[in-house]
Amino acid sequence: MKRFIALFVVLMLAISVSVAAAETLTVNVWDANQAPGIQQIADEWSEISGIDVKVEVVDWNNYWTLLEAGAYGGTLPDVFWTHSNTVQMYMDADLLLKLNDYIENDEAIDLDNYYPGIVELYTRSDGNVYAVPKDHDTIALLYNKAIFDKYGVEYPTDNWTWEDMYAAAEQITEASEGSVYGLALNTSNNQDGWYNVVYDYGANIVNEEHNGTTIDSPQGKAAMEMVRQLLTVGAPQSVVAETGTDSLFQSDKVGMITQGSWMITSFYNAEHADDYKWALLPYADVNGNGEADPEERWSCYNGLGWAAAYNTPNPDAAYSLISWFCSEEGQLKQAELGITMAGMPGISEEFANAFPGMDITPFLEAEDFSLYMRPYTRNTVVWEDALQQSGGFLDAWQNPEDPEVMEQACDNAAKIIRDAIAEEEW
Amino acid sequence: MNEPSKHKMTAAEKTEAKWAYAFIAPTILGLIILNFYPAIDTVRQSFYKSGGLGKGMKFVGIDNYTKMLQASETWQALWNTVKYALVEVIPGVAIALILAVFLNKKLKGTSAFRTIFFLPMVCAPAAVAMVWKWLYNQQFGLLNNIFHTNIAWISDPKIAWISVGIIGVWSVIGYNMVLFISGLQEIPGDYYEAAAIDGATGIRQFFHITIPLLSPTTFFIIQTRLIGALTIFDLMFMVMDKTNAALKFVQSVVYLFYDYAFTKSNKGYGAAIVVFLVVFIMIVTFFMQKLEKKMVFYN
Repeated sequence: MKRFIALFVVLMLAISVSVAAAETLTVNVWDANQAPGIQQIADEWSEISGIDVKVEVVDWNNYWTLLEAGAYGGTLPDVFWTHSNTVQMYMDADLLLKLNDYIENDEAIDLDNYYPGIVELYTRSDGNVYAVPKDHDTIALLYNKAIFDKYGVEYPTDNWTWEDMYAAAEQITEASEGSVYGLALNTSNNQDGWYNVVYDYGANIVNEEHNGTTIDSPQGKAAMEMVRQLLTVGAPQSVVAETGTDSLFQSDKVGMITQGSWMITSFYNAEHADDYKWALLPYADVNGNGEADPEERWSCYNGLGWAAAYNTPNPDAAYSLISWFCSEEGQLKQAELGITMAGMPGISEEFANAFPGMDITPFLEAEDFSLYMRPYTRNTVVWEDALQQSGGFLDAWQNPEDPEVMEQACDNAAKIIRDAIAEEEW
Repeated sequence: MNEPSKHKMTAAEKTEAKWAYAFIAPTILGLIILNFYPAIDTVRQSFYKSGGLGKGMKFVGIDNYTKMLQASETWQALWNTVKYALVEVIPGVAIALILAVFLNKKLKGTSAFRTIFFLPMVCAPAAVAMVWKWLYNQQFGLLNNIFHTNIAWISDPKIAWISVGIIGVWSVIGYNMVLFISGLQEIPGDYYEAAAIDGATGIRQFFHITIPLLSPTTFFIIQTRLIGALTIFDLMFMVMDKTNAALKFVQSVVYLFYDYAFTKSNKGYGAAIVVFLVVFIMIVTFFMQKLEKKMVFYN
């Protein structure tokens, strides 16, 4: 009987959900920091269109489980964010609404205006477009001035190399006798962490054709050797695995971390935000001329996309909302509200003004150097997860004193990526 | 309905049978839709390679199984699961039995204690795991702060499996205890009176009356808890981060299944892992049934 009641309840829920869907659009996002701003922009659209928009936040891990369940059951949210880790599969499975015709007839959207890497990401190999770029992000260095002052260490400058970062971190860790760590870097800080070192040294995680890697090249190994040295003066792996690097930093346990622009709000609202300062990511002086050349300082960038479900009951409204978010006006508003930087270049200056008292220009200055799209393949999660775990780079993180372990990890990582790519072929 | 084939059903009996079917239909339907169909479909999927999101299934025969049986992580996960089961079931049953004996006596405040020990059972497992995660935290955790230690309770591969096991024991003691108490109350008081008259001490009574007469309850608890422990997932998932170096030595078979089926979208390989686990549980249950005939004393 219990089962019967449960079944009945589920049935009623399903019915009520499908009835509600006709009058409101459900929007799913994973970032609670951005949700209020997104809702605000969506409400302005509701005033014009008369259709309500309900923004629901599901945290990053559960977002994909939920979306996948929705994909199987045919109950995807009407409009939602897509990400480079998974979008290839959703496009291949025809689960997203094809947007070509809508975009063609829409004066507000011209795909040439957006970052080309993000547009390419959401274009299937047959030329169909399934999402419009929502934003883009870059990476910067974050440091705690109070900790630098306390141990008498010079603040990071725009001309810092990774070696300079090492020296400062070593000073902090030693002067505090291990009660504070100079830096913290987990294997999972990839896009916002060690990936950038790899590109600075001239190697890549996944090449531009998305079918290979040079992580095991001499350049890749030199980069990871630099990372290894950083780890020797940073928080040990057992510490960062239990408490995230962000939490450690906000608890004044760590002097420096690297972070992406999507996290600014979290640090801006933190208790000790007055002590926090952003700087340009360090670079690798590969040619030894003593200054940062564009090809020596790379920042990862990625952009989310606004997509709609293939079977949304109201595709015109769904596209209209996407267009509202992604038009130049919507993008400007997104930057002004401090939600994120825009998906089109040149209009993110407003974003810097959204955080009075905190200078976030390093995220914008990063664009004067080199940007690379967040590495992705058809099923990115398979190799990305494996790289973070034992058998990948975790072994080297566990044992940072031994250069051979890191060198071996580079070879293992290359094999993991190549094997995963081979598995993706059909 | 002893011998239904021997006589024809009367009209009244037929109506009755129809109603009977109508009444069990919801349960049967629920079982078929929610249990039987998914179980069979899982076995089918284990012979396929899935192209992600249910599209592009490709038949690969026993490839998933050969790959799985050759992977050292599968056997490591099985060993982790067995270790967890031993850590949870043996102390979980022993401690619960002792508590049940004490709380079955007519003392003041027994119901308060029973409630306290049963409380973990009514807490959401995910919430329990989150609280323990912070107790164990190396930097800010209560345990390290109280004992002035610096132990990586859940990141040191040597002890992480025990730390996780302790959470399991703590969660399950109350449930086992309640079952034991109901078992104890079925033992007639006469045996104890007779033993007391013959001069048997409390400890002798415990080993010669309580334990043998309680063996059906004990066996039931061990068997159900063993199966429960072999299918453990939530503890590891909630307590340990993906980048935890000890994860490899703690992750259970179901965790491995989750990782492949849901994180890496490889449903076919995930299905093969659960079929492997089901076979293992069947073998364990088979031996448990053999053991029941030898060890359990029914009146």
